[in-house]
Amino acid sequence: MSSARPKILIVDDDADFRESLAVFLESHGYAVLHAPDSEQGLLRARLERPALILMDLMMSERTEGCFAIQQIRRSPELQNIPVFVVSSLYDKAPDFRIPPDRAWLGHDEFFPKPVDLERLLEAIRRYLAGAGAAQAEAQP
Amino acid sequence: MKMLKLPKSKLDFFAAVTQQFGEVHAPVQVQGGFVFRRLHRWSEARLDYQRTLLPPKKYFLPPQETLLRYRSTAGYEPCSEDLDRRIVLFGLHPCDIYALNLLDRVFGPPFADPYYTSRRRNIAIIGMDCMPDERCFCSSMRSDFVDRGFDLFLSDIGDDYFTLVGSARGDDMVLASGPLFSPVSPADVDQYKRRSAAKRRAFRLDVEIRDLPEIFEMEYESGIWEELGRRCLACGSCSMVCPTCYCFDVRDQVELGSRDGVRVRRWDSCLFLAHARVAGGENFRRSRAARIKMRYYHKQRGFVAQYGRPSCVGCGRCLTACPAGIAVTEVIAQLRETRHAASC
Repeated sequence: MSSARPKILIVDDDADFRESLAVFLESHGYAVLHAPDSEQGLLRARLERPALILMDLMMSERTEGCFAIQQIRRSPELQNIPVFVVSSLYDKAPDFRIPPDRAWLGHDEFFPKPVDLERLLEAIRRYLAGAGAAQAEAQP
Repeated sequence: MKMLKLPKSKLDFFAAVTQQFGEVHAPVQVQGGFVFRRLHRWSEARLDYQRTLLPPKKYFLPPQETLLRYRSTAGYEPCSEDLDRRIVLFGLHPCDIYALNLLDRVFGPPFADPYYTSRRRNIAIIGMDCMPDERCFCSSMRSDFVDRGFDLFLSDIGDDYFTLVGSARGDDMVLASGPLFSPVSPADVDQYKRRSAAKRRAFRLDVEIRDLPEIFEMEYESGIWEELGRRCLACGSCSMVCPTCYCFDVRDQVELGSRDGVRVRRWDSCLFLAHARVAGGENFRRSRAARIKMRYYHKQRGFVAQYGRPSCVGCGRCLTACPAGIAVTEVIAQLRETRHAASC
């Protein structure tokens, strides 16, 4: 049953990217949820409470992901979910030049596209193991 | 004051970066007009708005708020929910910032209102210049330009925003978005001056406010007030949309069957019949004429005596909102034109 597998939500307007990443993550034991934009992503996050979110930044508008992450961080029900940004922002907007600092972006990890899958997998495992340990610790 | 410029093409990036200072709120178009609201995406922002239905005072003095809770067992507990909420309010026009500066004098020291002042501290203001429409008369009220009360102020100079840095927090915003800003050039300064002159020329409404308190003094018994009382519906719309009207009512809401409850503050209006009703049932302003006169005298004369200038900022909201078509600009003109002696 897939409910035992940690759920990862991919929010990205590139359907091919979502599909290929989903295949990779599912092959490593994760259940994958998809959303093609931030609005649907936030809706799915509220309904499904994923263990982790992979968020694109530049979707129908180029700061869409930035605003979505802030909504996650300011939502009591979602704010503790790790958010990894997977984006080609710095390739597509080279004059932006503000480093992806957590203070303004609110993310946990940043992965430029094309994404290094091994590094991504290692980070997901690390975060979800941490979350699992924290959950176990919280058990009476 | 520090002056910089920000390319218009990067305003969305700047807004994204400022989210570290709070939730970004800006004017958004809704059915019937524009409202300040939290943005879910930058494209919702409509910085080309003329005026919002309600002024930004709603963030600092909410239409209704709980001041404290009381319990028979625990006594009084101040209610501080939302006071720490950090917000970046984007796109305020000069008249609305000017209005907040006036409210600061009412709710600030020496008898500071902790609810208002906390919000004022936690809400960053990014102002934005505008061009007047046929209902703006902020130039007459000297509130078409502000030099304080904001963190940053943006003026349109073509491809860029000429940016005034008005506070340490504004400076922090600039530092956080470092590469987006650049120094202004002499050509930018010239462009700013041209824009400023064009704005001054664009006003179509003009209200002379010099000696206005004295004119009001002379016209206290004028028949104009009775006539306005007949037209006014006492709906209070003008007060609700006014960026400087600050009358409020405080009520206790007791839970049924207990002695516990909450104390609530709500917007009030001097146009409402109950505004001047006191214990015993006496009402000092029972007629609509007395109430509308009170409103005009407080804004244009009483406030001048207390704070040195009228509380009207010329935003034009009351001209838009009044269902009876009463316009402050016309009332003032009428008062000035009233003749007391037979003409020869």
